Amino acid sequence: MVSATAGSICLLLSLYVFINYRYTIGGYQFTDQYPWLKGLGVSWHVGVDGISTPMVLLTGIVMFSGVFISWNINKRTKDFFILLLTLVTGVYGVFVSLDLFFLFFFYELAVLPMYLLIGVWGASSTFPTFARTKEYGALKLTLYLVAGSVLVWVALLAVYVQAGINSFDILELQKLGYPQGFQYLFYLFFMIGFGILAGLWPFHTWSPDGHVAAPTAVSMLHAGVLMKLGAYGIIRVGMGLFPEGAQTWAPALLILGTINVVYGAISAMAQRDLKYVIGYSSVSHMGYVLMGFATLKVVGVNGAVLQMFSHGIMTALFFALVGVVYDRAHVRDIGIFEGIAKRMGTTAAFFTVAGLTSLGLPGLSGFVAELLVFVGTFQTNVFFGILGVIGAALTAVYILRLLSKVFFGPLSPRWEKLTDATKLETFAMGVLVAVLIFVGVYPMPFMRIIDSGVVPLIGRLLTVA
Amino acid sequence: MPSINLPGMEWAWLIPGLSLLAFAIIVFLGKRLPGKGSYVAITAIGLGFILFWFVLKDLLYSRPATFNVTWFDVSKYSLKWGMIIDPLSVLMLGVVTSVAFAIQVYSLGYMKGDPRFGWYFAVQALFAASMLGLVLADNFLLLYITWELVGICSYLLIGFWYERRSAAEAAKKAFVTTRLGDVGLLIGILILFKQLGTFDMSTIFQAAQRGDISAGILTLVAILIFLGAMGKSAQFPLHVWLPDAMEGPTPVSALIHAATMVAAGVYLVARSFPLFEVAPYALDVVAIIGLLTTLIGSTLALVMTDLKRIIAYSTISKLGFMMLALGSGGYAAAMLYLMTHAFFKALLFLGAGSVIHSTGKQDIREMGGLWRKMPVTAVTFIVAAIALAGLPPLSGFFSKDEALIAIRDAQSPVVYLLALVAVFLSALYVARPAFVVFFGRLKPENAHAHESPPVMTVPMMALAFMSIISGFFVFNWVGPLFGLPAQFKGFGAFLFLEHPEAFHFDVMLAVYSTLIAIAALGLGWTIYHKGLISPASIMERFAGVHRVLVNKFYMDDFYQAIINRVVLAFSNLVALFDRRVVNDTGVNGTANLTAFAGYRLRYHETGKFYDYALAIALGTTLIVIVAFLVT
Amino acid sequence: MIPLEYFLILSAALFCIGLYGVLARRNAVLILMSIELMLNAVNINLVAFSSRLAPSEFLGQIFAIFVITVAAAEVGLALAIVIRLYRNRTSVNVDEIDIMKW
Repeated sequence: MVSATAGSICLLLSLYVFINYRYTIGGYQFTDQYPWLKGLGVSWHVGVDGISTPMVLLTGIVMFSGVFISWNINKRTKDFFILLLTLVTGVYGVFVSLDLFFLFFFYELAVLPMYLLIGVWGASSTFPTFARTKEYGALKLTLYLVAGSVLVWVALLAVYVQAGINSFDILELQKLGYPQGFQYLFYLFFMIGFGILAGLWPFHTWSPDGHVAAPTAVSMLHAGVLMKLGAYGIIRVGMGLFPEGAQTWAPALLILGTINVVYGAISAMAQRDLKYVIGYSSVSHMGYVLMGFATLKVVGVNGAVLQMFSHGIMTALFFALVGVVYDRAHVRDIGIFEGIAKRMGTTAAFFTVAGLTSLGLPGLSGFVAELLVFVGTFQTNVFFGILGVIGAALTAVYILRLLSKVFFGPLSPRWEKLTDATKLETFAMGVLVAVLIFVGVYPMPFMRIIDSGVVPLIGRLLTVA
Repeated sequence: MPSINLPGMEWAWLIPGLSLLAFAIIVFLGKRLPGKGSYVAITAIGLGFILFWFVLKDLLYSRPATFNVTWFDVSKYSLKWGMIIDPLSVLMLGVVTSVAFAIQVYSLGYMKGDPRFGWYFAVQALFAASMLGLVLADNFLLLYITWELVGICSYLLIGFWYERRSAAEAAKKAFVTTRLGDVGLLIGILILFKQLGTFDMSTIFQAAQRGDISAGILTLVAILIFLGAMGKSAQFPLHVWLPDAMEGPTPVSALIHAATMVAAGVYLVARSFPLFEVAPYALDVVAIIGLLTTLIGSTLALVMTDLKRIIAYSTISKLGFMMLALGSGGYAAAMLYLMTHAFFKALLFLGAGSVIHSTGKQDIREMGGLWRKMPVTAVTFIVAAIALAGLPPLSGFFSKDEALIAIRDAQSPVVYLLALVAVFLSALYVARPAFVVFFGRLKPENAHAHESPPVMTVPMMALAFMSIISGFFVFNWVGPLFGLPAQFKGFGAFLFLEHPEAFHFDVMLAVYSTLIAIAALGLGWTIYHKGLISPASIMERFAGVHRVLVNKFYMDDFYQAIINRVVLAFSNLVALFDRRVVNDTGVNGTANLTAFAGYRLRYHETGKFYDYALAIALGTTLIVIVAFLVT
Repeated sequence: MIPLEYFLILSAALFCIGLYGVLARRNAVLILMSIELMLNAVNINLVAFSSRLAPSEFLGQIFAIFVITVAAAEVGLALAIVIRLYRNRTSVNVDEIDIMKW
């Protein structure tokens, strides 16, 4: 299949970029620049630095396993993969663009196929007290993200006009200083605009609803990669262009991030639908990313970027697993399951690994990232640091409740005939599990690369202060 | 005697490393290996035990040292994995490797025929690796990492028979409860890091001793660290998980929930003792919690009927006792107690396991007279029971007396008296299962009971041997007896290489603590064996007390109520808030408002072509006029 | 040479007549013809300005030809719509075509 090949090639290219990125040199590498619209100063300028390199790799990995997970889609298969690949194109584009115009262009490209993917291949669900149709999920998601884009677009144009150098090039724009008031206003635009995509509280409700409606691979890409676009936008565009704005709004971001963490965890605890649990856990985990950004410390931001990577892999694994279970059981209500580990051994084992990553077990990638975020947060504000740690403990509560209820206990007769994941699915998810463990045990290669990207960014932030 | 060619301290990392390797091998290749990989795990821990002697020998001839490698760097910090080789860590190495080795061998017999035999040994190996890493860790970060890893091994092993709902719930409860404590530990560590910019223990301790950290913060940090220890070591009020943890296979209870992991809390406090020394209030907290725990544990152990739960509450009480000793400044005494306790408590569990394995029952009321059927089990169990009760010359006697001396010297008479009460109670509660299970009349349904195979009894005998002799380490003549260098005199001297502190031995205290223990055993004999005082009549006489005890002071119910009424209610409330307020009002509300506005505004659209044309024309004109006026 | 103002007045007059036709007429075909008038007014303007300001470059003339071409295409399309309309509703009265809303 073409998409499998494309997925593999993407992964290999991403790996190539990742391995060949020279962290000792730092800065932007693999750059490429052609003028596109000279009159407007738009140019095709791509390149990766320490922050985007792991994101590119993340996209490659999630895409790769997403393609294999959606192997059994047989409704308009071709269209599905076309849209999926378009989405991935957009995502890659955002991560490598060094030109605001193209960054925005790819950003939209990544967001819009989502509507069709969810609307056509999604699933509606009815709950005891309310119902969510797939159309509702798709519409809500798209409207939210477009609303975010509007803010971003306005701010982008404002920057372009204010800079007055007839260029959309991020590197050029970064060199200029912007007036304080301008920075305050438009950093907020970026923070909220991109923040919507990152699940920033209280603009997060699209995310659980969208996940519930979306098909498996889309959920994977969506939570795994797309939410990272928002976070990436905040750090690359927001913090990169507006150091003073970032400092002014850091406390607000810290508060919102902490709310994300705790609120998401508590909400997840009350959910009865597998996908809602994971959806809210995504909200909670993206909170760590935002908290990390808000520390404005090298350690914290490093942790946040690693958390973006780690959460991407982890949540993709979660959704893949939920998809596998749903494909066989056709329900996702936690209350109905009991003891299915007996029939789905591999799935249960993988779910445990994902769950443990989620609750920050050392030896898995989540711990390293969260630890760094906490270290950074403690240096900024002990109180929010403590809340963050408590949030991690709450994660343990809902994850373990879920594991215990769904997978453990006596096998209920209803699930006698359940089958375990197929070889292909096991392979796709095994890749993700391996990455989680690798990063958890040996984060050195990641940290070196991320560090080389974060240090100059924070350095610029602090020189302004 | 130079030890150039022999493995020395710098090889110590291999001890956990081997077990970790064993874990990886079993996970990936287990099904294809003979014995599903069980031999791999046992070989690894066995080699670890051998290596331990080399490390010990090296330590005796040289000074404590640390070794580390960089895990990863982040900005100006460098996070390291390192190990510290000092008497404390080597002592723990010895305890963990020996007990783990014995128990893994025992498991070969106990777990025989289990469908997940290989997985059991994989997790056992992972546990051994993390526990050994925990005791070797030279910085708080690695300590926390391994701390969590032993926690997850405990989770996996408690929930080993996950098809049982109770096992799955117990595993969850154990992990979540200890996790509560871990939150404190992590916060404590992070505050230290914020203050000093390092996780390295020796640096932190030096700074604390120098007074670089303000007293308030130091006390806070010490209490937070102790919170971690409370979770792991099942101290009141976080002790509730340990009895439930008995859902796991019995060798697991012996290794993790008696000998090693639950002792990690005690080890942690001992390891961070330099912090506690300069934070006297924190030390008081440790002592008080320890005292409460030991009293609660020993009273509850009296009324339980499940054999394993009796021992579990006994473990809680003993851990409390160690904490009390630590809180009284009896650092060496607590560690001595930790060591001897590891041997005799593991032995008690293995004995219980042997009984359960053979009778298939756990309730002591259904047992009796088993010593004829299983003599080895009976003898070793009784040895362990006597050691626990603290009769000379068994190991428990020495460790208990050292702890009592520390408590007497540091605490008020009331605390001391209560500690003696705890000693009395522990002898009484251990007498109960010993008499009820092994003596008296053999129940007919247990007629098929038989002695366990040698693969189980030999480790028990080895542990019994250790339970008998390990107390003698306190004496100063032990070192010279083995021809060891002059530094090594006795236990205290070994632990305090820097400031030699021999063990004191108070004859008076020894005499009356022994008398107390004998009195308790005698009372137990009268009640449970002779039946001179019927347990039932006591139960009736103190019906109210009994009910409270059987219900574990209602703590489980209390927590359950909190979880149901407060935590879950709150989370439901938040979820509802999210759906109703944030989503329905905030999100859908906006959408509805937009739709409503459109609905209203559409009446301004006539649909008549020339209306639009007129609007265009007028609009254009207007713009032109405005443009003119402006320019 | 004829002054530029004459052309402008002519063009403005033509444009206004066209506009009046568009707004006042009810017959779709007449409206289309009025639009043509307006377009031609613009063309006159273009050519007049061009020949006065840059006589050697014929920019306005080229532009005017474009406009004529586009207008022809547009009328073709519009007449097609009108014919379809007539077939459907037997009327080309724009008053009656008011479903172009919501």
